[in-house]
Amino acid sequence: MGILDKKLSLRHRNKMLIGVWEDEDQLVAAASELVHAGVHIHDIYTPYPVHGLDRIIGARRSKLARIAFFCAIIGFTLMTTMIWYMSVHDWPMNIGNKPVRFTPSWAPVMFEGTVLCTAFGMSFFFFWRNRLVHGIKNETLDIRQTDDRLIVAIETVPGMDEKSILNMMKNGGAIEMREFENGVQTVI
Amino acid sequence: MGHGHHEIEVKQEQFVFSPKAKRFSIILMVLGLILTGIGIATMDNHSENHNPTTVSSDSHETHGESTVVNNEGHAEEANASHEEEHGNVPNEKFGPRVAFHHQDKPASTRIWANMLIVGYFFLMISLTAVMWYAIQYVANAGWSSSIKRVPEAIMTFIPVAFVILMIALFMGKNEIYHWVHYEHLGLKPGDAGYDAILAGKSAFLNSNMLFIFPTLLVVIWYVMMRKLRSLSVAEDNATKGDSSFFKKSIRFSAGFAVLFGFTISVVAWLIIMSVDAHWYSTIFGFYNFVTHWVTMITIMAFIVAYLKKEGYLGIVTNEHIHDLGKYMFAFTIFWAYLWLSQYLLIWYAQIPEEMAYYQIRFEDYKPNFLANFFMCFCIPFLGLLMRSAKRNRYVLAIIGSIMIIGHYHDVWLMVTPGVFGTGMTFGFMEIGMLLLVGGIFMWWVFTALTKRGLIAVNHPFLEESVHHDVGV
Repeated sequence: MGILDKKLSLRHRNKMLIGVWEDEDQLVAAASELVHAGVHIHDIYTPYPVHGLDRIIGARRSKLARIAFFCAIIGFTLMTTMIWYMSVHDWPMNIGNKPVRFTPSWAPVMFEGTVLCTAFGMSFFFFWRNRLVHGIKNETLDIRQTDDRLIVAIETVPGMDEKSILNMMKNGGAIEMREFENGVQTVI
Repeated sequence: MGHGHHEIEVKQEQFVFSPKAKRFSIILMVLGLILTGIGIATMDNHSENHNPTTVSSDSHETHGESTVVNNEGHAEEANASHEEEHGNVPNEKFGPRVAFHHQDKPASTRIWANMLIVGYFFLMISLTAVMWYAIQYVANAGWSSSIKRVPEAIMTFIPVAFVILMIALFMGKNEIYHWVHYEHLGLKPGDAGYDAILAGKSAFLNSNMLFIFPTLLVVIWYVMMRKLRSLSVAEDNATKGDSSFFKKSIRFSAGFAVLFGFTISVVAWLIIMSVDAHWYSTIFGFYNFVTHWVTMITIMAFIVAYLKKEGYLGIVTNEHIHDLGKYMFAFTIFWAYLWLSQYLLIWYAQIPEEMAYYQIRFEDYKPNFLANFFMCFCIPFLGLLMRSAKRNRYVLAIIGSIMIIGHYHDVWLMVTPGVFGTGMTFGFMEIGMLLLVGGIFMWWVFTALTKRGLIAVNHPFLEESVHHDVGV
């Protein structure tokens, strides 16, 4: 399951080239130029959504929707079982001479339980994936990525022409460039 | 706007009502007429036993107290045992009409009731189009500005649908509404057959109100609709960057949204809920609203998809179709929420006068009752759940067709058991009327689309709509 993949942690990555941008339009132009030059962009960290970036860097669709669906199934099953156990199996009660099995009164319980499990499940997995759960060290490449800067991370591969990539970043409007290796960042 | 953006130029497009679409519209109308004709021809013809002209006041004058609240014209049928069999014995608490068979009504009732259903259905669709349009302005929505000419065209159908509705009300009010019939009896407290509930509601439920109130409201809504439409076309002809029409539209939209939101419930109570005048539900107006709202969005998605297929609306992408699909999906759930909210409380409380509404629908119209829930909720919910389904025009077309028929059938189910009692079927005439008025609707709306450019070129948010992107 991708969500538990240790490789997601930046510590297990090769050397990274990091570029810091100030303007999202310049970033979009530079990112598409880099991608056209055949560079694989590992990820771009932005404090706000930038339209079109996901398509440019070829980001895959989030698995959150699938997680939501499975959480919903779990919640639905859980609540149906619960209300069946309570009001049919363990302690059936005569309320206004209504039947005990599968009545409309089950619907709100099933619905709310499904929504609850979906919401909690989605939040939990979302925070886990973004390394914001307690116990997982979060790896912010640059603290300003939570404020007003846009951070591009490119993972190097052997034989890569790092100089030309750095040049492209500089020409594309990067205000700062750094290398990231073994948890240490050096400004270029 | 950042440095990279530059003003984009969107070309105006002119819609042409193609001969192929015209032919399709005419086929719909002809098919509808044929089916309606078959429906009328194969109708249970029992009018020789039940003279419609003697239904209202004559019967009680000529036959005395025993037939006072009976809808049947002939005294020999209206004996005591017959009354008991149909449950027509006056009852102090629940009123006189607990259970009866559709043959108790003159045959023409079915024509007027169907006209009422189809007129109301399309009136509400064109009104909810104005509401949708108004909400886009009030909410400052940008994504929808490229398709706003579609609701603008749908809303022009208000007068046609209103005329159909008014004809049905005028011709069939005595047979459709038992409180209109009751009003003609002119009973006083203490008289046999006196109904305290109907008498108590007579300030609202009377035949003057039935015509004056909807007419007044529809005229006000219509005037506001015309104003919104004229502001929209004036914006096209103004200089680029002039946002005064946009701001004026927001103000009119806000006024319309507030007025419509409050008054639509009252119209639903007066025209539809009152077929069961002893029964009431406070959520009924919203339930009616959302039924037509989701149908209108489906029709809008159909028209947008058709325009895309014909090569119009170059700036509309799959992202817009996706959003319309989301709208359909979301309001399917909202429909089910209100449907259950109305049903659940009545089911739980089990108060007889409230149960009466669901009693007849669940006992005598069980297939319709279940089909309603399946067509309006289960099928669209499961069918539109996936992202890829919402972005696929063919899936939307199939699910959307089921939804339109389902919601039309929903309105049919609200009216029919109240008017006819037991034993009515959703047959040729019902489908025929939907196709007939649907064909007229298509002709009317497509003609309205040709009257102005397809793109609101000077809308301030048009560029936002061009760049609209819901992400991967």
